[in-house]
Amino acid sequence: MTLGNAIAAELRKLLTLPSALLALALGALSTLGFAAMTASSLRDRLDSGDSSALAYTTTMETGFNLIPMGTIGTVVLGVVIISSEYAANRKDAGGGRQILASLTCVPRRGVLLAAKTIVLILVSGVLGAVTIPATIALSQFLLGAHGNSPSAVVAALGWRAVGGVVYWVLISVIAFAVTVLTRSGIVPLIAFIANLTLVSVTFMLTKLTPLANYLPDVAGAGMVGVFHLTDGMLDPLPGGLVMTAWAAGLLAIAARVFARRDG
Amino acid sequence: MIEIVGLTKSHGARLAVDDAGFTAAPGRVTGFLGPNGAGKSSTLRILLGLDHADSGTALIGGRPYRQLHNPLRTVGSLLDGSGAHRSRTARAHLSWVARSNGIPKARVRAVLEETGLADVAGKRVGTFSLGMGQRLGVAAALLGEPEVLVFDEPVNGLDPDGIRWIRRLLKEYAKAGRTVLISSHLMSEMAETADDLVVISAGRIVARGPLAEVTTGYASLEEAFFALTDPAQSSRDARSRS
Repeated sequence: MTLGNAIAAELRKLLTLPSALLALALGALSTLGFAAMTASSLRDRLDSGDSSALAYTTTMETGFNLIPMGTIGTVVLGVVIISSEYAANRKDAGGGRQILASLTCVPRRGVLLAAKTIVLILVSGVLGAVTIPATIALSQFLLGAHGNSPSAVVAALGWRAVGGVVYWVLISVIAFAVTVLTRSGIVPLIAFIANLTLVSVTFMLTKLTPLANYLPDVAGAGMVGVFHLTDGMLDPLPGGLVMTAWAAGLLAIAARVFARRDG
Repeated sequence: MIEIVGLTKSHGARLAVDDAGFTAAPGRVTGFLGPNGAGKSSTLRILLGLDHADSGTALIGGRPYRQLHNPLRTVGSLLDGSGAHRSRTARAHLSWVARSNGIPKARVRAVLEETGLADVAGKRVGTFSLGMGQRLGVAAALLGEPEVLVFDEPVNGLDPDGIRWIRRLLKEYAKAGRTVLISSHLMSEMAETADDLVVISAGRIVARGPLAEVTTGYASLEEAFFALTDPAQSSRDARSRS
């Protein structure tokens, strides 16, 4: 089956691309690493009887509230899965871009783009499904005696952890769709990573207009519940649906442009 | 069998291919000759389903490239470098290409041997020389044991040894009853390799036929080439020859 072959090829292509492997490592290790640091330092402060230790966080939230960090990994993944197609080889090695090989292998644009989307959802989904529960478990373990019981953790964070995985996947699909349009990965990488981890322009916009609550990352944040909380923030389910609609809409635009563009 | 009929393509205001038509027959090496910018690559890109034609058709075995099921098993192509990402190894590149068309993994090793790349299969493509990149492109084209080869400027960057290797490969391929279409701006190369010739100039096909026929009345292919592709003469020649 053509789509099956295309998916298998795209999976192999992505997992033999050094920048994609780096993205996976970055997403997993940055989340786990920062969670481990904050959980350990919180335990030390609690052990020493620091009464202000829980002023801004709880033993449940610690570690889990670093879920946004991991989007670095899925954003990079979404960008490089397509920007690598357009990166030119060195002139003295013959130049050329991989997109020509990809299109001669899978000449139907819709099939190629569908295969890439499916592989991206799969890989970023697995990254999230492994990293997010591991982050929660590691944080609770490092809290030692201050940690919560597994059943309490599942009750408090269960659906939000699932929301976190969905959030990671949808962010990667949005980054992918935008990069299909730009072809170069530089601008989307800088814009997405800055917005998600440094200064969130989209969240600041919610101060100006309630409409900003319908921007993809703000809407989707409702599913995870660890971002800057805003007044008009959507509930998890409508928020997730709004973010999904953004991802699907951008993907549809990307597919239309990709199908019409000459290779 | 490759059939191109009434093919037209403009890039913006510039007409790159102007009502071009020719065929490449099985069992023969067809040389697609023309100066740089004459429309060779534009024609081949449409033939390989990369670009859309404004009008006309380009068929391989009676079907447009985009409708071929597992196209690499029908057509092997080489266009603008190896098409491998620079941070991938040669083996990793060939391995995803094979997978995309359901080609058995054993073929990867076979084409690496055949193109003399077995020793560097584990090296990153970014460290390759021009000639090695070209060999990798040929390796990918041979993966699916296709009935048709379409190579754009295949001798580019190859050393004399490589040039002799690729000439022999293309001739043997055609001798086995398969279709080979190669483009070049190098007349000497075409005189060595091609059985049939299609000459393109400023987007128009100005001559086509067996090599001997196209060069009849001229001292050499070079003479014929300049007479045919000189803008002042080409239209007159095309008329008197067709």
